[in-house]
Amino acid sequence: MSVVLTAALVLFAITLVFAALLGVAKEKLRVHEDPRIGQVNEVLPAANCGGCGFAGCADFAQAVVEERAPCDGCTVGGPDVAAAVARVLGREVVQTFPYRPVIHCRAHTGDKLGVVAYDGVHSCVEANAVGVTQGCTYGCLGFGDCVRACNYDAIHMVDGLPEIDYVKCTGCGACVRACPRNIIESIPFKQEQMLVVACSNKEPGKNVRQVCKVGCIGCKACQRVLAQLFEVRDNLAYINYDNYTGEEDLKAAAGKCPVKSIVYFGKPQPEYAAMLKEEDTAVTQV
Amino acid sequence: MDFTSLIAVFLGVVLVNNFVFAQFLGICPFLGVSKNVSMAFGMGCAVTFVMTISGVVTWVIVHLILTPLGSRFLGNPESLYFLKYVIFIMVIASMVQLVEMYLKKFFPSLYTAFGVFLPLITTNCAILGACLLIDMNEVYQSSLVKSAVFAFGGGVGFAMAITIMAGIREHMRFSDVPKALRGAGITLLTACILALAFQGFAGIGK
Repeated sequence: MSVVLTAALVLFAITLVFAALLGVAKEKLRVHEDPRIGQVNEVLPAANCGGCGFAGCADFAQAVVEERAPCDGCTVGGPDVAAAVARVLGREVVQTFPYRPVIHCRAHTGDKLGVVAYDGVHSCVEANAVGVTQGCTYGCLGFGDCVRACNYDAIHMVDGLPEIDYVKCTGCGACVRACPRNIIESIPFKQEQMLVVACSNKEPGKNVRQVCKVGCIGCKACQRVLAQLFEVRDNLAYINYDNYTGEEDLKAAAGKCPVKSIVYFGKPQPEYAAMLKEEDTAVTQV
Repeated sequence: MDFTSLIAVFLGVVLVNNFVFAQFLGICPFLGVSKNVSMAFGMGCAVTFVMTISGVVTWVIVHLILTPLGSRFLGNPESLYFLKYVIFIMVIASMVQLVEMYLKKFFPSLYTAFGVFLPLITTNCAILGACLLIDMNEVYQSSLVKSAVFAFGGGVGFAMAITIMAGIREHMRFSDVPKALRGAGITLLTACILALAFQGFAGIGK
């Protein structure tokens, strides 16, 4: 018998045995899986960032199909993905807003008081455990755990305070989880620019003054202008984003703040962006 | 065949000729899936399983199918050996499929954690390497038990290597790594130092 023929027969026979084995195994080990899970998974961004609170896109898809998660749970995908997921599952989708992080602190290096020389590990987690690197026990430590946590190069340290680049930010929430002091919070961005109370200090005003030049002193000036939106609890102003509409009187309320703790976060306004662009071109020309 | 020689085979492949640290096989999953210990251990177990089964099955195919068939029908026991590589790959791929189905059924969380790395065991060169090393070495050619121990030991060695690496990398998350070395750089350096450390076992058994 020729070598070629024997080889073909042997190979065929062995392949057949393994095919049979796999066929039997497939029947024995069959797992029933909802086909919609795969369809939902396909419309997700596949970033696997965990911003939705699940282990990854596949896990989130399963949760959505099993109605353990809402259609708009994906922070990276935003309204488009929410609509696509709802279409796959034949569900109604309510209007959704992208969740983006904001920083409840605006103390740059010069604004922090009672700063102590710190020679330890340059990490917020470590510095927070030590606890005496600066006067304010609520505010940003400035060692950049959030910067290192970001997979999208969307957060940078500027003068001792992280600054978020909302053009690059996908809202995955990695920085929110990284911050040991829970200063960073994901809020629904109902507009391009959102008002945020940029302070986390719950001490009475006098104590805040001792540790920070720009901290919220709990004076309730904002609450007096717009009581349905601003609320002062534990000497700290909070914004109720459920009632957030973005009308003009917001600005008036924010303007009342004596320490300018209520600031806008978000993508730069068009005219500002244009100005930045001009600066860029000017630099390249030089 | 005595029990001592089996232990020698096992320790030899786990410590002295460790697939990852001494023979530099299976580096892709070693670097890719070594970010946390539980996942790395799962990967190590899957590789151990596939490697043991593949080692045994390929030995059986080579010595009980290819060799007799070759000598009976073609007059030369080695005339069908050119089929080895095709058959080895097929056996490994089938075993990986089997493991995948098994994990999907009984350990779905491990299955999702592996993601693409599970099918990639198919192309894990450590497994094909184990099959080929068994096939090339006269000691293993003559004994199925030794081959099985060698393949199992190879898997255990790989599992140990990847778990050690994952443990180190978990701790490394808290260290202040120079910016230029973050990520792949420091991982490769760590692997390199680990491999150097394992060279210390090379004197054993002489």
